[in-house]
Amino acid sequence: MLKNIFDWLKQPLGLIAVGIFFLSVFSVALYGISTTQQAPAQPIEFPHKTHVGFGIQCLYCHPGASKGPAAGIPSQAKCWACHNQIEKTQTSELLAPLKNAVLSGESIQWVPVAIVPDFVQFNHRPHIAAGKNCEECHGDMSQVTIAENPQVFNMGWCLDCHLKNAGDDVEKKTKLTDCGTCHY
Amino acid sequence: MKIDLNLVGAKGAIAEAAEGKWGMTIDQDVCTGCQACVAACAMENNLSFVGEEDAGYGRTQHWIRIERFWEGEYPEIKATPNQPMLCQQCGHAPCEPVCPVFATPHSDAEQLNLQVYNRCVGTRYCANNCPYQVRSFNWRDYHIDPFHANMVDGKLVFALHNQFNPDVTVRRRGVMEKCTFCIQRIHKAQDTAKAEGRDVFDGEFTTACAQACPADAITFGRVDHHESLVSQLSHHERGVKHLEELNTLPRVTYLKGA
Repeated sequence: MLKNIFDWLKQPLGLIAVGIFFLSVFSVALYGISTTQQAPAQPIEFPHKTHVGFGIQCLYCHPGASKGPAAGIPSQAKCWACHNQIEKTQTSELLAPLKNAVLSGESIQWVPVAIVPDFVQFNHRPHIAAGKNCEECHGDMSQVTIAENPQVFNMGWCLDCHLKNAGDDVEKKTKLTDCGTCHY
Repeated sequence: MKIDLNLVGAKGAIAEAAEGKWGMTIDQDVCTGCQACVAACAMENNLSFVGEEDAGYGRTQHWIRIERFWEGEYPEIKATPNQPMLCQQCGHAPCEPVCPVFATPHSDAEQLNLQVYNRCVGTRYCANNCPYQVRSFNWRDYHIDPFHANMVDGKLVFALHNQFNPDVTVRRRGVMEKCTFCIQRIHKAQDTAKAEGRDVFDGEFTTACAQACPADAITFGRVDHHESLVSQLSHHERGVKHLEELNTLPRVTYLKGA
């Protein structure tokens, strides 16, 4: 039985079938990897570049970054503070979800983009306090529409920066490379 | 057996760090064994409820437990005082050197025994080598077990997901876990203090077990600050450290025999 299958696979048609099989597995894997590199679909195609272009500070919409662990995603109330004054909000198709959310009182389900796994405890505050700018990790938001990650947030990338900032300060280096600083 | 902690070399270095940073005292004379600490610890640290069957196998997950022993021969027996047993955060921990993947390193910054969940591969060697038997293993994905979920509008709703502490990792199947001395609270207090430009003061925060204790039997704080309450209590004449003869340098001092 098994020998028959091997014999069939050795003939030209069988080799082509094997080739097609591996090619399809490879392309599915490639597609899978490529989807992880794309920004997720958002309920509103929020144009970051427009808002940054108006000169709105990052911390206006994401004020948690300077106070605590999470930067936060603004609720529609914050959007509405400006947008109820803007006439285009009433007619624009793209802004319809915002208008509906405000009228119905249901929150907009934004998809977080810059995320770390559950076993990583990230805190924005010390990073802002250490003089890091938002764009050093999140990229230049004046160039993108929907937020996307400029790099993969992995441990090597975190540690590179931690080691660079610790320099020769032994106490700082101990703290910044300690497993328990991020993992607990 | 008396151990000379002033040995030169590696053990000399350990003796220097013997005091540690964070420590705890537990007063067994006032402990009533009410298990409030056990419940508080489970809530704070996202401990799983393993269910009846696994509990029968001894797979319960508690980072702190109340121990009681019998003294003497039946029927002339006497129960010993309640003894809350938790990770002693040993300065010279037997669990640490046996890990093949270095998932349980010693924190140089906080002087604690860490458990890095994402690095742990679940050999359970550390638990077998712990003389205090305080490590517990995740035998299943208890928190996402579909048999313990409710079906609401075609979606599985897990009963206790909303009470998870967001500051603590929800452990997956196949990793070891243990008491962390509420390191999330340590970090939070240090972060708040740093934001306000000061040092963490004694009694500013405490662990979940100490906070919940109605008899105030548990005291937590800096043992290397000599004016702190926990440091003074740990040098009290009633103080006992468990299995000290193994040179584990435990950070928890038990007070008993008043």
